[in-house]
Amino acid sequence: MKRFFLLLCCLTVLTGCAAPAANPEPAQAQFFSMDTLMSIRVYNEGGEDALQAARQEIEKLDKLLSRTDPDSQISLLNSHAGDGTLVLLDAQVTDLLTFAKSVSQLLPGCFDITIAPVMDAWGFTTEERHVPTAEALTAAMALVDSGKLTVDEAASAARLEQAGMEVDLGAVAKGFAAGRADAVLREEGVTSALLDLGGNVTAIGSKLDGSAWQVAVKDPQNTSEALCVLSLKDQTASTSGGYERYFEENGQIYHHIIDPETGYPADSGLLSVTVISSDHMLADALSTTLFVAGPEEALDFWRSREDFELVLCTQDNRVIVTEGLEAGYRPAGEDRGYTYEIARR
Amino acid sequence: MRSPAADRRRPTLWDGVVALVVVALAALLVFLLRPAGGSNLTAVITLDGVQVAQYQLDQLDQPITLTVDEGTYPLTIRAEQGRICIEHSDCPSQDCVRTGWISKPGQQIICLPNRLIISLFGSEPEPFDAVTG
Repeated sequence: MKRFFLLLCCLTVLTGCAAPAANPEPAQAQFFSMDTLMSIRVYNEGGEDALQAARQEIEKLDKLLSRTDPDSQISLLNSHAGDGTLVLLDAQVTDLLTFAKSVSQLLPGCFDITIAPVMDAWGFTTEERHVPTAEALTAAMALVDSGKLTVDEAASAARLEQAGMEVDLGAVAKGFAAGRADAVLREEGVTSALLDLGGNVTAIGSKLDGSAWQVAVKDPQNTSEALCVLSLKDQTASTSGGYERYFEENGQIYHHIIDPETGYPADSGLLSVTVISSDHMLADALSTTLFVAGPEEALDFWRSREDFELVLCTQDNRVIVTEGLEAGYRPAGEDRGYTYEIARR
Repeated sequence: MRSPAADRRRPTLWDGVVALVVVALAALLVFLLRPAGGSNLTAVITLDGVQVAQYQLDQLDQPITLTVDEGTYPLTIRAEQGRICIEHSDCPSQDCVRTGWISKPGQQIICLPNRLIISLFGSEPEPFDAVTG
């Protein structure tokens, strides 16, 4: 009898070992917004309502911030460029404009939300991409100056001082949306979720077992492979790279991240920049800005601050990871010729 | 008074039989509870949120070509054993064509102008929770 009792116990234990670990399916949605594909996954039980609330928040922001929606507040602001009108705006839009202007001042010449006419000249806002004529580019560059964007925070209003100027918030809107979606999810009690807003990944809380989310950084030269894998909790990882949107003309590749100083695609020695920060909007804005700035300036800027970390992939196949990520990252591209180094303060 | 069993110090034949039964049943359980055969690599194609096709890529014997012309720019999808790509698109940007072949669970090809997504699913766990880039 004892033997059979022992047998029963062993089988019970073995059944538990052999069964696959419980892996609850998250509530999830995938949708197009802000001219990109987005997904939300909520792992807490009963997360469907929270997910829908976050999605609605993002779609509401898209209606406010889209430059291609004629009814958006940004379109309204752009339509009054040069006519002296101080355009009344939603407080969220004013906050975002103020933030974007502040980033332009942090790294002068590397970021400007009034770059839109130049993006249009290159055709990056449509599907008809081409190298602009020198005349067209000069004319477009004359309209780029965020110093001529006046923001009145007290009145929640803004004005573009020169006719033809246009604001495009594409480099900051997804980060702003991630911040708002994060807030909405937390208000709904969510502690475990992942947002992917067009390749900007926001990790909310941790996995249900308390461990960190494992987020791969795409290899800019082989996008089906990972460059490295990061461990994230309550952070956004935002990546900018020339491989995302580009075209080829006369054997030359032109990508979509335009240097506001030259009007041409940035050529700073970087293939991609990933910024990791608990400030979602900062991560989004800095990934573009530091891609334009280049590796040395990016690392100098990182050393001057405490609120973000970096993964830089250079054109000579070096992957520079800042020390704050060291404990939770693992390289994944050595077999493709990448070398990895830790940048220290 | 001690029982005869308590006096025994060496395992008996029956102890060995019980151990063998436990090992055999454990092996059987592992076999029965293994993931279903193959990688079950499945491609799901959606156009503006509506599924238009689904292929079991690991079971394709012949390549398949699918033309999707309901979107803004007609495009052609090619599926082969274990992989899928957008072979041609009338879209001037060609972003989706340049994505090339995808062959791993979790990978996607996205055509923004058409709002078309090709997503790969499989029975093998994905190595990451998400991908930035």
